[in-house]
Amino acid sequence: MQTLAQLPAAPAAPLFKRFASAVGEHLLIVPHSRLFDVPAEWAAALDHPDDTNGEDDDVLRLVSALAHTAYGEAALEQVAAPTPQSLSLNVSTSCNLACAYCYAGQGAFAGAQPAPMTWETARAAIDRLFAGADAQAPVTVGFLGGEPFVNRALIQQAVPYAASAGAARGLDVRFAVTTNGTLLNEADVALLRAHRFAVTVSVDGGAALHDAQRPLAGGQPGSFARLCAALRPLLDEPGQALIAARATVNRHDFNLGERFAAILAAGFPEAGFAPLRNAAPQAGALTDADWPRYLTALIELAEAELARALQGENIRLTNFAVALKQLARGASSPYPCGAGGGYFSVAANGDWYACHRAIGAPAYRLGDNGGLDAARRREFLTARHVHAQSDCQRCWARYLCSGGCHQEAAQRTAASCDFVRGWLEFCLRAYCELSARRPQFFSSLEEQQ
Amino acid sequence: MSQQDPIKLIPRNAAALRRGQTPEAAARLVTGNSAATRLESGVGNCFPGLECDIRNLERRFFPFLEVDLRDIVRDGELIAVAVIAAVDAAGVQNAVAAGQLSAAQGAIYQTIANEVNGPNGGQPPFWFIEELSGSFIGQLGNQTLQLIELRPPSVGAGRRPPDAWTAIRLLAEDTPVTIVARRDGAATTQTLTGKRMRYLDDNGALAQMFAPGELTQSLCSPWTHDFRDCGCYYWAANHPDIAKPPLLTPPPNLPALNADVPWQRVERELTDSPVSATANQPAELRHYEINHLWQTLNFVLEGRELLGPYEPGAPSQVEPFATQAELETHLRYAAGVELAVMHEYLTAAFSLKVTGPAGTLLDDARAAQAELLRVAIGEMRHLRAVNDVLAAFSSAAAPFTPALRVATSVPGAQAGEFLPVLARPALPAVIAEFLVIEAPARSVDKLYTRILATLQQRGTDEQEQAIRAIMAEGEEHLETFQFIQEWLGRHSPNDYLRAPNLAPPPAANPLHQTLQQRYRALLQQLFDGYRQGLPAGAPNINAARSLMLGPTGLQGAAEAVAQAGFLVVFEPLADPRFAPLDHP
Repeated sequence: MQTLAQLPAAPAAPLFKRFASAVGEHLLIVPHSRLFDVPAEWAAALDHPDDTNGEDDDVLRLVSALAHTAYGEAALEQVAAPTPQSLSLNVSTSCNLACAYCYAGQGAFAGAQPAPMTWETARAAIDRLFAGADAQAPVTVGFLGGEPFVNRALIQQAVPYAASAGAARGLDVRFAVTTNGTLLNEADVALLRAHRFAVTVSVDGGAALHDAQRPLAGGQPGSFARLCAALRPLLDEPGQALIAARATVNRHDFNLGERFAAILAAGFPEAGFAPLRNAAPQAGALTDADWPRYLTALIELAEAELARALQGENIRLTNFAVALKQLARGASSPYPCGAGGGYFSVAANGDWYACHRAIGAPAYRLGDNGGLDAARRREFLTARHVHAQSDCQRCWARYLCSGGCHQEAAQRTAASCDFVRGWLEFCLRAYCELSARRPQFFSSLEEQQ
Repeated sequence: MSQQDPIKLIPRNAAALRRGQTPEAAARLVTGNSAATRLESGVGNCFPGLECDIRNLERRFFPFLEVDLRDIVRDGELIAVAVIAAVDAAGVQNAVAAGQLSAAQGAIYQTIANEVNGPNGGQPPFWFIEELSGSFIGQLGNQTLQLIELRPPSVGAGRRPPDAWTAIRLLAEDTPVTIVARRDGAATTQTLTGKRMRYLDDNGALAQMFAPGELTQSLCSPWTHDFRDCGCYYWAANHPDIAKPPLLTPPPNLPALNADVPWQRVERELTDSPVSATANQPAELRHYEINHLWQTLNFVLEGRELLGPYEPGAPSQVEPFATQAELETHLRYAAGVELAVMHEYLTAAFSLKVTGPAGTLLDDARAAQAELLRVAIGEMRHLRAVNDVLAAFSSAAAPFTPALRVATSVPGAQAGEFLPVLARPALPAVIAEFLVIEAPARSVDKLYTRILATLQQRGTDEQEQAIRAIMAEGEEHLETFQFIQEWLGRHSPNDYLRAPNLAPPPAANPLHQTLQQRYRALLQQLFDGYRQGLPAGAPNINAARSLMLGPTGLQGAAEAVAQAGFLVVFEPLADPRFAPLDHP
């Protein structure tokens, strides 16, 4: 991994956060997300980190020592350019649904992506990815759009090609697709079963809500029924595919429990929620007043899943399951995602963008199938490092949230950040309780990996 | 926060554990800890060896006291076995202030503290625990013990613990304990009552009262006391159980000197009739004996104990080939042998049943198949190395023809003996024959020994190293077959083979035909690749590799034949480039 620059943290950046759970007092060391149990009587000493009377010198010295980058960890100050390992191909430029909040404008990105991707473009992108990929880590080829299966011929051609070309290079190739699920036919299902596909299905809830939020292109309802019918064979027999539902939440309905139940009843093994932040006003993006309501609803749902996990069952709420896994590992990063680092999204014309949501945005165009522009990449990664975000400098959650989605940074408000912190506080508490009372939950996660 | 109080932080996620894993932290010495070890990776037992001495836990069995369990002998008479080393006077004061300890008990602690805390702690006059009362685990029940009187054995009704440490160790946690302490030489005693301390806290971590280094403070070198028990399958690889005894000078040719003796035998006199390892319970050094006598244990090389410097034996006389033509003929035969044994190994590998219910049988069959395939791939590397050596001998006048003919027989264990190449399932006798083929100084190894001797005379260093590498891998293959023999030996062939009477498929069988086609295509690619050499031949060699592995390769075709219930067999080819080759 090439280091491009060093961006030190702000001097006032908090190094730790104290919190309590049902199993005791805990300390989160913010850099590198280290978690410790601490004696209750000592935890009080952590409450006044700003005292300068010498009383807290010991606390600060200890915390600073724990915050040091350990052997084998990447320094958080680094602006680094890792090897691209994941690529999404924007194979289609249209969609059979007409969701009001679509970031991609049904795949056309407001005219920036007029024509679907050709085989030559897809193959060149895959070849480029494989040529530089590190064989020690998995490589992922994803399919996006529009609705990717509008251009199923390309997917059907690209997957076997990538599988065999990857195998010839000794790469561990995996696939991903985000789909509305309504167009899957028998051949598509066979393809998804036969490869290690992460299949993310956009499903917002039960039939009524889903049909309202995700109408067919002509505006009619019925998308939920089509989705269920087309996806049934894959849900019944997923083969190598891992299927998850992803639901968009707008400000008009925070009854997450009902949606969650409806999605699971449709046969999905797990479901995650994504709040709508960046959309046209009529689409229902969350406002400052909505964030506390959303937080309450999400925690209520997660509490029920936590109770299940304590009884030895799995967690089906993706947001929660992922957060717990990350906390167990001590995930800590100055970036919220791999955009421009390990991940790129290839537009239908072969241009490489840092993010699939930014097709057509000049600031995100970092290269093409001929190669990446090192200077533009450096500029992009430096500007998006969490140490460069003035809002984040004094936040204890900065290496867990990392500033959130780049595309939504403009919509960041105190209220939306309070939501993130509130959610993370809940997850930290839940992690400590679950790991203390049912440590096997985490050992079985390791085995699955 | 007071600087005196150590704070116990308990890691709760992987990142917290990682913090302790810096190279600096790994190298940092903690006062009192052994220089070679860190506690979290430690192995503890009750010997004063290894990485921690759990007897030190008992130093803290009684509230506010540190107790050293050591014998004090004066004028040949044992006067104490449990000496009070220190008193936590501050802890006592706090407990009295908080009403957890009576003032009278606090005063007794203070009296003892005044004498044992400080620079002369433990020196005369000292305090020791004379009597111990409490509830002991198991059949011992409630007892009052005079510690100095405890002796082994501990048997029968009304039994007492055999020694002071065992007694304290058997006190039930959190139950009331009473001690009677005496100042050395004083007429009166002091009685204290408290609960047997808990050594671990609620999280399973060592209780706060233990100081860094306390558990390791009594360590000694494991190379004496505990080393005695490091027998086979346990701990130290450099502790042989048995060895051949030292040879007398001049060595008489006695069978007794070629039989194994116990390495740590008591009887260490040099004799021409040492006690055999197979004797009924030969006397071996005990723990305390080995502490004094470990330096008398002999170094062992090549299975024999040595008394003086090692002198390597004369290298075996190997005759190089007389002519270049003879060398090349044998190199071609060696290539043919590599191909032939690869055939045999693949046939055996695919005869194994690698599906079925989970368990030892399945694990062993899968491991054996994986290792057979790995060895077969190793033979392909050898084939390449031999061809590289041959290619180097070519010239414009005598262009290189790759050596890809398959030997009809391979060298046997005895000189002049040859074993026919046969397609056979992995029966015990077949695996035994594979062991012969890979054995050092026999069979294939012997063939390469002459090639090596010739190349040492007139080859390049690179050619010599190529042959050495093949021979070294042969040794590794031998070891692998020994493992395979062990794994499969645990089961009946009827259980681990796909079928009891596996036979080659009919010649017209389509799966068999596919296998032969792919094999021919593979040889063709190898032929083209080897002939061109590198880098020009690289695409062919890569293509050959692709043809070997995966469902569309040789592997997939062989798997299909095996699944159809047949032996995987490679037919002799008529093409003169790949035709059968007899031994020279």
